Amino acid sequence: MQVNFGLFSCDSHAQLDRDAWTKRMSKEKWGDRIPQVVEVTEDGRIVDHWMINGKVRTDWVCNCPAAMEGGVARGYYPGRWEEVPKIVYDPAERLKALDTDRVDGEVLYPNTPVSNFSFLQADAEFELACVQAHNDALADWRAVSDRYVPVAIIPYLSEIDVVVTEVERSVKRGHRGVVMLAEPAFTKKGLRRMNDPFWEPLWACCQDLGIPMQWHGSAGLTEQLSVPKWSGFSKKELHTVSTSRLCATPAQLIPNLLFSGILDRYPRLKWACAETGFGWVSYVLEACDHEWEQRRLWKEGVPTRPSELFRRQIYVDFWYEKAGIELRELVGVENIMWESDYPHIAATYPRSWKFVEESLAGVPDEQRKKMCYGNALRLYGLS
Amino acid sequence: MNATVGFISVDEHVQEHPEVWTKRLSHSKWGDRIPHVATNSAGFERWVVDGREISLDGVADCGAAMTERTKNPQRWSEVPPAVYDPKERLKIMDAAGIEYAVLYPTVAGLGGESFGRIENPELELACVQAYNDWLLEEWGSASERFIPQCVTPLFPIHAAESEIRRCVANGHRGVIYPSIPMELRDVPHINDSIYDPLWAACQELNVPICFHAGASSKIQIPAYEGYSRTVAAAFQSIARPASSVSVLVNLLISKILMRFPGLKVVLAETGLGWGAYLLEYTDFQATGDQLPQNGYDLMPSELFRRQCYLVGWYDQASLRVRKYIGAENILWSSQFPLATSTWPNTQATLAKNFEGVAEADKHKILRENAAKLYRIDLR
Repeated sequence: MQVNFGLFSCDSHAQLDRDAWTKRMSKEKWGDRIPQVVEVTEDGRIVDHWMINGKVRTDWVCNCPAAMEGGVARGYYPGRWEEVPKIVYDPAERLKALDTDRVDGEVLYPNTPVSNFSFLQADAEFELACVQAHNDALADWRAVSDRYVPVAIIPYLSEIDVVVTEVERSVKRGHRGVVMLAEPAFTKKGLRRMNDPFWEPLWACCQDLGIPMQWHGSAGLTEQLSVPKWSGFSKKELHTVSTSRLCATPAQLIPNLLFSGILDRYPRLKWACAETGFGWVSYVLEACDHEWEQRRLWKEGVPTRPSELFRRQIYVDFWYEKAGIELRELVGVENIMWESDYPHIAATYPRSWKFVEESLAGVPDEQRKKMCYGNALRLYGLS
Repeated sequence: MNATVGFISVDEHVQEHPEVWTKRLSHSKWGDRIPHVATNSAGFERWVVDGREISLDGVADCGAAMTERTKNPQRWSEVPPAVYDPKERLKIMDAAGIEYAVLYPTVAGLGGESFGRIENPELELACVQAYNDWLLEEWGSASERFIPQCVTPLFPIHAAESEIRRCVANGHRGVIYPSIPMELRDVPHINDSIYDPLWAACQELNVPICFHAGASSKIQIPAYEGYSRTVAAAFQSIARPASSVSVLVNLLISKILMRFPGLKVVLAETGLGWGAYLLEYTDFQATGDQLPQNGYDLMPSELFRRQCYLVGWYDQASLRVRKYIGAENILWSSQFPLATSTWPNTQATLAKNFEGVAEADKHKILRENAAKLYRIDLR
């Protein structure tokens, strides 16, 4: 990938076309269970929704307010597929959005209807077929341009060797990372916690392939770790509440990762946390080091000082913050990357550079380059 | 002798001794439902409240006072006196440089949550009142350096309000209320205006309402079952303060602070490290969601600075970027006798962490903010 602008997004969302699954899954075998867009009448109005496994979803047909006319300030979500701009779902057209925002490339996380666990339903075979179609469709984006860096999703109902095979297959097709649930066991009963030895082959596989693991946002835990929703909130208030509290998740997950022994057993395995900012990382590092010292955890199977382990293997993103940037050397200038979150409501598109300049005011050029793109190129193995 | 930096610790825990409730509640009426210490099937002494063992891996929560920090006492005879005896506690305070200690419970719940689970309102009130009265009788009367705070019945809210009025009249200086009452019992959401008499009473009586981390274990990731007891406890000590993120965000958008602009809220045992980011981020989201155009005169961070406080103890980085939280909104503590406490290195930690912090701000964080909040006359 050529660096023209000096800015690389480590968290953007690729909307797959409406035929992504119908084109790739056997109609004969799966029938109407295949993920697809359907027309629904709501309050006398026809709207489009995704339907998975025969169940109509209630969310917008495409989460892309930043790409709509009026941008995030208008906060408009398309009701019909026809309204979705091509700069969201057509990889060739989307390059124009990257150019407009003066961004070199982007790590592609899923978009509607794929969340951390959309396909975690029904049976293992159906889940795997949906996951494979998603990973294949996204891999095709990389064939359009090397400015796209897709990350693969995994099935959860399959045995671990199936998971590993899917990761290997995806990486061969161009994927550069794996995004997964933070704590599968809390998202669905019967699945294993991340600490469980069940997952070891996945960690080994990712370390061998040289691709990072990623958690996105609350990584499937938002409702579990929050004050219960209040029915008195307006939609806008609810959105502020449910997004603002996101850092509560990585602030608990990373300490668990640091204590789990996984990073000690796989010292070349990297882990990236997207869409959570990083100003809270000083909490994680100080709290973990404090408890590690107070309770002499090196005698308890946590041999490496947590802050050292963090700087060796964990990556975090920023998109507009200032306090965190002031503490960048404590967190690690090599561990901080930039993200745009295009085309979601928190996206800085199409004025990303304005936010970058505000956040990085006074930061020396060499550090700025690392955080804006250098660290990302290294982590994702882009030359 | 090294100069000791005196400070007000706004988050210290008393350990209730075995007679607190058994001496004050009617045995003929409540029998074994009275909070008491009992030996369980494994041969360990544990606290039992209304027939249920409380979730504590010992008979007291006092790692910092033990020879081995990672082991809570399993029998009452092993509990060090400084944990439950106010006279002995004063000696620790002298050594740690703590001029005044604002008190939180242990058996009644780190965040006052234990009795909220009791379904019988009469028993709940009896347990609450026994704690509140005992705290004044044994700790409050022992020294003016102890700042007692009351717990309250969970619901109905007029019961909480009456208890607050009774306690403040008797000398309590703060109110401890579980941050997520609806997870303890089937009661309305805390944002509901049915709770307004609680906020109104605190505002009127000029006492802070305190949400201590850990009042709800549901918003914390549980420690992995494969961890040793020590690693599990360490992890919980990190997950617990971080769980207050969700409590604070909910509070800032709940409109409670807008309805009660004079109400002060202390979020205890939060640490400071996530505060600056959270305020920046919540403002950013609130702006994106157009809350200022929809009835919010103040940004979330402005509401916070007007009315809220975070509590640090080992924090260093946040003191460097304190302007984002606000030097007026940071309080300090030692967390004695919890295992996470800085004791016995409280003074050394303080000296290291406050290096480079302007004297005026240091004075605010260590003394002035707390003195104003708890109406302590600093001589």
